[in-house]
Amino acid sequence: MSSAAATAPAKKSFWKSRRGQQITVIIAFTIIPVFLLMLFTYYPFAEMVKFSFYKMRYVGKRVFVGWDNYKEIFRRDDISGSLVLCLYYMVGAIVQIFLALYFATILSMKVKCGKLFKGLIFFPYLINGIAIGFIFKFFYTRGFVLDTVLHAFGIPMSALPYWLKDKAVNNWSLVYSSVWRYMGQNMVLFIGAIMSVDSSLYEAAALDGANNWQKFKYIILPSIKTIVTLNIILSITGSLSAFEAPYVITGGNNGTGTFFVVMDKVAHTSQKVGLASAMAVFLLCIIFIATIIQKLLFKYIFRNANADDESLDAKKAKQKARKAAAKAAAKGGM
Amino acid sequence: MEAKKIVTVGLAAVMAMSLAACGSGSSSSKGSVVSGSSSTASGSSSGSSDFLSIEVGKTDTDLKGTVKFLTNRTDMLKDDYNGTSWKQYIAEFNKLYPNIKIDVEGLTDYANDSLTRLQGGDWGDVMMIPAVVSADLPTYFEDLGSSDEISKLYNYTSGKTYNGEVYGIPITATTPGFVYNKKVFEQAGITSLPTNVDDFLKDLQAIKDKTDAIPLYTNYAAGWTNAKWDDVIGITTTGDADYLNQKMLHSKDIFSDPGDGTGAYNVYKVLYDAVKNGCTEDDFSTTDWESSKTKLNNGEIGCMMLGSWAVTQMQGAGDHPDDVGFMAFPMTVNGKQYVNANADYSFGINPDSKNLEAANIWVKWMTEQSNYSANEGGLAITKDGKSADFYKDMEDAGCVIEENAPAKSGEEDLLSDLNSESELNIGSDDGSRNAKIIEAASDGSESLDDILKDWNDKWNSAVDDLSSVSTAS
Repeated sequence: MSSAAATAPAKKSFWKSRRGQQITVIIAFTIIPVFLLMLFTYYPFAEMVKFSFYKMRYVGKRVFVGWDNYKEIFRRDDISGSLVLCLYYMVGAIVQIFLALYFATILSMKVKCGKLFKGLIFFPYLINGIAIGFIFKFFYTRGFVLDTVLHAFGIPMSALPYWLKDKAVNNWSLVYSSVWRYMGQNMVLFIGAIMSVDSSLYEAAALDGANNWQKFKYIILPSIKTIVTLNIILSITGSLSAFEAPYVITGGNNGTGTFFVVMDKVAHTSQKVGLASAMAVFLLCIIFIATIIQKLLFKYIFRNANADDESLDAKKAKQKARKAAAKAAAKGGM
Repeated sequence: MEAKKIVTVGLAAVMAMSLAACGSGSSSSKGSVVSGSSSTASGSSSGSSDFLSIEVGKTDTDLKGTVKFLTNRTDMLKDDYNGTSWKQYIAEFNKLYPNIKIDVEGLTDYANDSLTRLQGGDWGDVMMIPAVVSADLPTYFEDLGSSDEISKLYNYTSGKTYNGEVYGIPITATTPGFVYNKKVFEQAGITSLPTNVDDFLKDLQAIKDKTDAIPLYTNYAAGWTNAKWDDVIGITTTGDADYLNQKMLHSKDIFSDPGDGTGAYNVYKVLYDAVKNGCTEDDFSTTDWESSKTKLNNGEIGCMMLGSWAVTQMQGAGDHPDDVGFMAFPMTVNGKQYVNANADYSFGINPDSKNLEAANIWVKWMTEQSNYSANEGGLAITKDGKSADFYKDMEDAGCVIEENAPAKSGEEDLLSDLNSESELNIGSDDGSRNAKIIEAASDGSESLDDILKDWNDKWNSAVDDLSSVSTAS
C-alpha cells in the first residue's frame, strides 16, 4: 500500500487510494452474504408477492387476477374469523409476560432452590412443539389428567367443561398450552436482564428503606425496559402467527383455526397458492402495523425514562464541552 | 496490488460458487432427462414383453441379482409384525429364486420421501408408485404391457394406465366401509347387517340402548379419519361406476338429497344423525386413533367408518381378533348394494434397473403368488387370486364389488381442479370439511341441510368457473 503510494503519488487511481481500497474490501467481504441473503430471502419473498396477484396452483397455468386475492381475504368468513382468534393469543401473550416478569423478579432475589425452579419453569421451552401438542391432547382428554386432578380437588365431573370440544373454552385451552411453553423462555431473558442491573443500586435502595415492590418499580423495571419491550413485541407478533398448538392439538377444527392454520389449508390442501400468498403478505402488513403501534406506545409509556437518559446524555455532552474548553484554554496559554 | 488480489480472490470465490451451482444443477437435470427418455424407448420395446412372458417358478429360476425395493409398509419390516412380514415373504420367494436377493427399504413418510427419491433417480429397482401425474408414468416406470393384455390377468390397474399401456400393478385393493365388532352387534340383537341408512341408524341406537359400547367411534381428532366418509361417494352412492370421475364433474348440486336413501347426502346424514342422537363418543375432540383399535377389538366400540385395510390392524390390536368384522356401507341403490374397490399402492419397476428381469420376477411373484391380498385384508389382484375371507360374506350377501371408472382422457386433472377451486377436497386426506358435520351435529349450531347447501354452492360455482375457463380457452 505504502510502496504503491510512494512510487506513483501523482497518478494515484481511485482504487488504489485508501478510500478506494476500503470500498473494495467492503464489497469483497459483503458480496457473498448479501448475495445469499438476496437469493434465499428477498428473491423468494418478491416471488411470493408476485404470486399473490395470480390465480395459480403449484403446477399448471397462472392467471393474473390483480387485487382479487386480497379482496377475497376480506370477503371470506373463515379468514377474517381466524384473525379474531389472534386476540385470544394476544391476551395469552400479555398474561405470559406478566407471569414471566413476576417469576423472574422473585427468582432473581435470594430464593431457596432458585435454580431448580428456574430449570422447571424453563424446561417446557426445550420440548418440541409437536410433542407439546400431544402432551396437551391427552392432558385435556375427558376423564384424563386435568379432569382427574380437578376432580381430586372436589370439583364434580359434571361441572367440568369439555376442554377441547366446548367452543367457549377450547381456544383458551390452546392458549394456555402456548403460555406454558413460552413463559420460561421469557423468564430466562428477564432474569438475564435483571442480573445485569448494578447491585449497588439495590444496596442503596435498601439503605433508603425501599421494599421489594419499590425496588421492582423504581430499579428493575426501568433498567430492563428494552428487554420487556422486545419480549412484548415478539409475543404479540408470535400470537398473530400462532400455529403449532391449534395445528397439532385440534387440527384447526372446531373453531380453533388460526390465520396460519387456515393459510396452510388454503395453500396445501386446496392448493390456492395465490390466495395463500396474499394472506401471507396481508399478515406481514398486520405485523408491521402492530409493531409500529407498540413502538409508539412504548415511547409514550417510557417517555420519563427516556427523559432521564437524555439528561444524562446532556450531562456528558456538557462535561465534554468543559474538558474541550479547558484543553483549548491550556493550548492558548502555551 | 493487495486490493486487486482481494478482488480477484473474492470474484474467484463467487464465480467458483456460482459455477459449481450451475454445474451440478445442469448436469443432474440433464442426466435424468437423458436417462428417462432413453429408458422409455428401451422399456416399451423389451420390457413390455418381459413382464407378461415371465412364468413365476419356471422362468430363470437360477437368475442371480439384487432387487432394491422401496415400500411404505415399514411396519412389515419389524419381526414382531402381526401378520406376514417382509422377511417371511422374501424367504418364501427365495424358495423359488434362491439367488435373487431382495433388499427392502421402508420409508416412514412414504408419500413425500418416495417422490423425492424418484426425482433424484437411483432409487432402486422396484417401488410403490407415488403420486405422479399419469403423463409422467412412462418417464419413470417400466412399461409392463398393454392394458388389454394386462387386464385379462390383473384387476384394478386402470389407475396406473397411460395411453393404453400399464405401468404399475397394485399390491392389493381395498374397499371403504365399516369395521365393526361382531359381539357388540350380537348383544344389541342385530341379526343381519343393515343394508340401508335408516336400518343402520336404528342399529346404532340399539347398540347404545342395549350395550355399554360406543356405537360409532368418529375418530374425529385424527383428522384423516373424517375424510373416510368421502370414500363411498361414487359407485356406492349411485350404483354408477362412471359417476365419481366422470359424471359428477359436470353435475351440480351433488350434495342434494335424492330422496331414496342414496347419494352423498345420506352418507353425511348417517354421520350427522349418529352424532346428534348421541350414538358417538362423549367427547369427539380428544379421540385417539391408536387406542381406538384396541377398543374396537375388545368390544368397547361398535363400529368405525374406515376401510377393509383396517381389519388386520384391528384384529392385531387385542385378544379378540375373531370379533372384528367388516361390512359394506349400508346403502342400497336400485335393489343392489355396491362396494367400490380402490387400488392400493402399485408396484412400479425402474426402467434403468440393472436387474430388470429379477425386478419383474419379484413383482410378478408378489402379485400372483405371495397371497398378500388375503393376508392384508384386501381384494385379489389376479383374476384367479384369493381375497380376504370377509369379502366372501359380502359377495354372498349380494354386494357388487366394482372399481370406479377412471376419468376420461383430457379430464384427468378436472376433479383435483374442482377440489382446489371449491376447497371441498373430496377424497383427499383432509377431513376438516366432514369434521364440521360432527361439530355442528354435536352443538346443534347448523343443520345438515344448511351445511350441504353451502357445499353445493361452492361446488356449483367451481363447476361454473372451470367450464367457463375451458370453453374460453
